[in-house]
Amino acid sequence: MKKYSSIILILILALALTLSGCGSPEPEEPSTDTPVTDPAEPEEGEDDALRVVLLLNGTLGDRSFFDSANAGLEMIEDEFGAEVRTIEMSYDQTRWEPTLWEVSEQDWDIIILGTWQMQEYLQEIAPEFPDNRYIIFDTAVDYSVADLSNVYSIEYKQNEGSFLAGALAASVTSSDMELANDQKMIGFLGGMDIPVINDFLVGYIEGALYVDENVKVYVSYIGGFDDSATGKEMALAQYNAGADIGFNVAGQAGLGQLDAAKEMNKYAIGVDSDQAMVFADSDPEKAELVLTSMLKRVDNSLFRAVEMHLDGTLPYGEAEKLGLVEEAIGLANNEFYQNNVSEELRAELAEMADMIVNGDITVSSAMGMTTDELNELRDSVRP
Amino acid sequence: MADLLDIIFSTSFGYAVLRVTTPILFATLGALISIKAGVVNISMEGTMLTAALTGVVVSAFTGSGMAGVVAAVLAGMLLGLMLAYFALNLKTDIILAAIAINLMASGGTVFALYVISGDRGISSSLASKVLPKIQIPIIHQIPVVGSVLSNHNILTYVALLSVIVVYVLIYKTPLGLRIRAVGENAHAADSVGISVIKTQYIALIMSGAFAGFGGAFMSMGYVSWFSTNMTAGRGFIALAAEALGMGRPFGVLLTSLLFGTADALANALQAFRIPSEFVQMVPYVVTILGLVIYAKRRQSMAQKHKSEDRV
Repeated sequence: MKKYSSIILILILALALTLSGCGSPEPEEPSTDTPVTDPAEPEEGEDDALRVVLLLNGTLGDRSFFDSANAGLEMIEDEFGAEVRTIEMSYDQTRWEPTLWEVSEQDWDIIILGTWQMQEYLQEIAPEFPDNRYIIFDTAVDYSVADLSNVYSIEYKQNEGSFLAGALAASVTSSDMELANDQKMIGFLGGMDIPVINDFLVGYIEGALYVDENVKVYVSYIGGFDDSATGKEMALAQYNAGADIGFNVAGQAGLGQLDAAKEMNKYAIGVDSDQAMVFADSDPEKAELVLTSMLKRVDNSLFRAVEMHLDGTLPYGEAEKLGLVEEAIGLANNEFYQNNVSEELRAELAEMADMIVNGDITVSSAMGMTTDELNELRDSVRP
Repeated sequence: MADLLDIIFSTSFGYAVLRVTTPILFATLGALISIKAGVVNISMEGTMLTAALTGVVVSAFTGSGMAGVVAAVLAGMLLGLMLAYFALNLKTDIILAAIAINLMASGGTVFALYVISGDRGISSSLASKVLPKIQIPIIHQIPVVGSVLSNHNILTYVALLSVIVVYVLIYKTPLGLRIRAVGENAHAADSVGISVIKTQYIALIMSGAFAGFGGAFMSMGYVSWFSTNMTAGRGFIALAAEALGMGRPFGVLLTSLLFGTADALANALQAFRIPSEFVQMVPYVVTILGLVIYAKRRQSMAQKHKSEDRV
């Protein structure tokens, strides 16, 4: 017995070694095979193709944010013939900082990373590598703490897109659409009570009030971005209270809302990626209820940044806020939106989008808003 | 305040409590059986996660929700078996082995999902099935009680019935007697001819089976997909619920319901603009309070025993 178990143990160990052996060389490859010999390049027809690396502090397959960033990288590869690599650092926080160090020491032209969770690490590491170029999306580094002239930050005017989502929700709840009830109540399901999420909320509330001053907004926060069961539970509570449409801004956890919408037969609005298309094949009934999604086009914004980098016009050392004008934000215009939202309403929303672009409508932002101001706004629409 | 009472005494709140309780109850019963046999299974979290994925995958490929549940339970039993093998045959520390299972499940499920469906975060491209809801014939007609108790997912009823099954198993069957004997004093049990290892194997496999049911409910009842780390700590809450319930089947039913109520309350309280962090604290505050009460009771019981010994 003992003999067998030791043999099994050795086998497992050997297997583990082989597997980890397969895994680890990958990230190191670029540093080892590029400096002297460059046989990989010739097919591009350029001697020094742009080398871009994308660090994700999560994994692909979120059907949202990170997938969109990766799509942007693919666009960069196709359009500029760049050599690209995506490194998934997983959700394990302890791996983020070492990976960023390691990648910074390698020979990349542009290092792209995102989210507020990476912000502090970048503020620490970027000044150590003044020759590197960093692009960070969905947050801005604090340029006052160190010399960060090699970092370009992209922030999104999610409040502008959410304004349109709010306008849509308010129009639906006061309409005589099939699944709308008499109560003028709409839902908002946020991941956490943090500035980025509240920026969505502020735009959503303003958009709703722009259409109808009497609309009430039922706000819930899940407290995280991965527990979709709790997300569903909170969305059910909203629909039970009389909301007939809701907007989820909680990544994977927010998908719980779509399940709740199907169970209660109510409407939902997705976020970041086109959530109707996620379920279009596997669960068309659910997809029908997702009227549209407020897209954060990370892909477009990264493409734009790299294009400007090549032109030499990208303002490193600064943060930019991208919105409807740059097509970094927008409502998903898919078949479900076309079929389920009346032409009239779609025209109105398009008009509002134009007015935001022209500056005729200004949408407030939660960034820099005090907690009191935010609470006042939230309380004013409390059901 | 009146609004709050309105919410708490609404039928949809009562209904939500049972739904939220179901996965916790399954995991708690699983933990209970293992602890009764003296082998603490803290891998409920990872086991549920693995079972949740197995259920989704099998139901998607067979087109049958029932097949998914069976596969989920089998997956749970397999992990229970694995833990038993590591702990009982290879003599590893059972806590460490269980932690390994939890870690393996958290990464392994994502890897398996990717290999099978190409998805990495959520199994939305698999057309998996959900389990049917059941209307209980007579109870369904009763106004308030009906809308709280009836029309739940079939697994919610399985969970409630399991409480009785576990009670009968532990206190009324020879196997239950052996499990308790092994848990109380393994050497004594061994000396009267009970196979300690065999009994603990059975207990761990059964505990895995319950976690399997819990996982199946998460991905085929609660929501209709598998997503990364979807169990979100419910397997660990179960361990607290087991301790609070003093290891008694009906005790753990009550504590599971308590956690379920706290959870449901946290969800419903969001309607009032109470800071959400405070609301999200509720289930954990309940846990700590419960553990304090539990510790106090044990202390006073221990003192009672001591004074009895002296007499």
